[in-house]
Amino acid sequence: MRSAYKFLAFAVAGLVALQAAFMVFAVAGLGIWVDEGNSLTKATMEADEPPDFTGAIGFMLHGMNGMMLIPLVALVLLIVSFFAKIPGGPMWAGMVLGFVVLQVALGIFGHESAYVGFLHGINALILFSVATQAGRRVATAVPAGETPLEASAAR
Amino acid sequence: MVGVVLTLAIVVPLGAMWWNSLLPSSYSVMTMGYPDYGGGPRPAGHDPAADGHDMAGMGHASSGISVTSLDTPKGLRPDVVVDLTTSEGTVELASGKTVEGYTINGTSPGPTIEATVGQVVEVRLHNEDVEGGVALHWHGVDVPNAQDGVAGVTQDAVKPGQDHVYRWVAPHAGTFWYHSHQMSNEQVSGGLLGGIVIRPATPEPGVLDQLAVSHLYDSIATLNGDTGHQSVPARPGQRVRVRVVNTDNGPSKAWASVPFKVVATDGYDVVDPTDVTGKGIGIPGGGRADVEITVPEDGTAARVEVLGGVGFDFGPSGAKAPSVTEPEEQVDLLEYGSPADAGIDVSHFDRNFEYSIGRKPGFINGRPGLWWSVNGHLYPDMPMAMVREGDVVKFTISSHTGDVHPMHLHGHHALVLSRNGKAATGSPWWFDSLDVQKGETFEVAFVADNPGIWMDHCHNLKHAAQGMVTHLMYEGVTTPYELGSDSGNEPE
Repeated sequence: MRSAYKFLAFAVAGLVALQAAFMVFAVAGLGIWVDEGNSLTKATMEADEPPDFTGAIGFMLHGMNGMMLIPLVALVLLIVSFFAKIPGGPMWAGMVLGFVVLQVALGIFGHESAYVGFLHGINALILFSVATQAGRRVATAVPAGETPLEASAAR
Repeated sequence: MVGVVLTLAIVVPLGAMWWNSLLPSSYSVMTMGYPDYGGGPRPAGHDPAADGHDMAGMGHASSGISVTSLDTPKGLRPDVVVDLTTSEGTVELASGKTVEGYTINGTSPGPTIEATVGQVVEVRLHNEDVEGGVALHWHGVDVPNAQDGVAGVTQDAVKPGQDHVYRWVAPHAGTFWYHSHQMSNEQVSGGLLGGIVIRPATPEPGVLDQLAVSHLYDSIATLNGDTGHQSVPARPGQRVRVRVVNTDNGPSKAWASVPFKVVATDGYDVVDPTDVTGKGIGIPGGGRADVEITVPEDGTAARVEVLGGVGFDFGPSGAKAPSVTEPEEQVDLLEYGSPADAGIDVSHFDRNFEYSIGRKPGFINGRPGLWWSVNGHLYPDMPMAMVREGDVVKFTISSHTGDVHPMHLHGHHALVLSRNGKAATGSPWWFDSLDVQKGETFEVAFVADNPGIWMDHCHNLKHAAQGMVTHLMYEGVTTPYELGSDSGNEPE
């Protein structure tokens, strides 16, 4: 359970890093595509398939990873925290989930205000830090009743 | 123990929501949602449509009129016969580039269907190899319900190797289009479409007609399958009517290098259109705008441009047309043209429906997400607008989401009464496809004069495929057709 918690917490951080990578992959590819003479119009944005350039898939991956996979992992992390017997574990898992929910909301409303998009960018780094810390503190946080020596022996 | 309780508190409600959202393998449009009577009379006693829940399972309705009988009178001799063969594979654009898609008689767009008002049009559809099946819908042509071409509602999808014959009387002169209404998001995007031009009995002489079917193939903008600006020979002083059809999901726009008039929208003529300069005309997804220009007397060509860097240059051969940048402003149809009697008595409505578009988190067929909602409901629990033949109906359509939604009602044209509280003061603004932006509220009216079960959905087909689909139901009308994975019918 403890290692599951640690894995899941670091997984959230890793997936958030992937989110940043997907987005820049897509935006860079888009810039190159336009430079080559193509044009992005409302119709292209609304089309069933995205335009065919290297990086285009980044937009879709960012959306699916962000709205489905990361929230699912954060939710499982919270459930695992109920059983992992890590002091402060549920609280940190709750914080991770909270920042994930905030990030999803900012991402959705970012489509209506670029300033909200700005906050989406900052919150990504906050979420990354919180998830990383939630994972790292599992190593040093000791369950009630054990001494640090017993805890490390158990591992 | 606390952990178990908390886990159950999270997992059980989510699981229940997931379970409840799963669509049955076969279901009827008659039970797809909850009836909304719009403040009007409910049917006396037994309404077969509202009890469709039991009926659909029996596979037939014992009372009520079936959509199959709401049809063009039998035995009419067709004046215009068109054979259309649909196929899946590669589309070759006029430029030579090939893309994956669908063709009709080997091309995309498919052949244009042309007729005169009142003529009987017969379309013989043969589905050669489109694996998912096809159905043809006549967008903007208010045909009898049985001819509407919606898989799962008015017919079963036409499977590979099968045939279907459509027959309808051309009801109104104007510009329309036809497209698949089986897996429409994918098939229309892939090019399973074509134009329809219905001419009046006595067309205006001397006007050059040009159809401009605008479509994106793999993000390549085209008009009639061709990219860039196409030259069309025309005499100086010649009047040209450009019929622009927007077949894509997002809004399009047309403008010109010379003053132009918007002579019709969605197949209905504009009364007293005035010259437009420095502005463009917006065209919602699925909508049409007929734009009239006069070729300059000085021997140069006039350019009519459509969003995406495509257009037509009209002038003597060799004449050059100036390039023209996209104007920022658009013609406001609420004030354009002169008012005239629209033929609807809007002093009293038999039904008043709210249609409020929003977004709501939840599950649709087991998939979690933030989905389109109508009046707070997610697909398939959508409001079903119930009307009786002859009702004067008002819809108040509002959008609270960031995306623009081109709202399309089958089988009828509606009149815009007001936008954001401002009454319409121009030519009667009849539409079958209307763009609703964030924060906008439109009041629209129509007469329920075409009995049947009619889809009423966002024509951004991606949104429709995501559940933004409702329908209008006439009292007493039933359908034997079904939707769901067992049926093979998937209209979106």
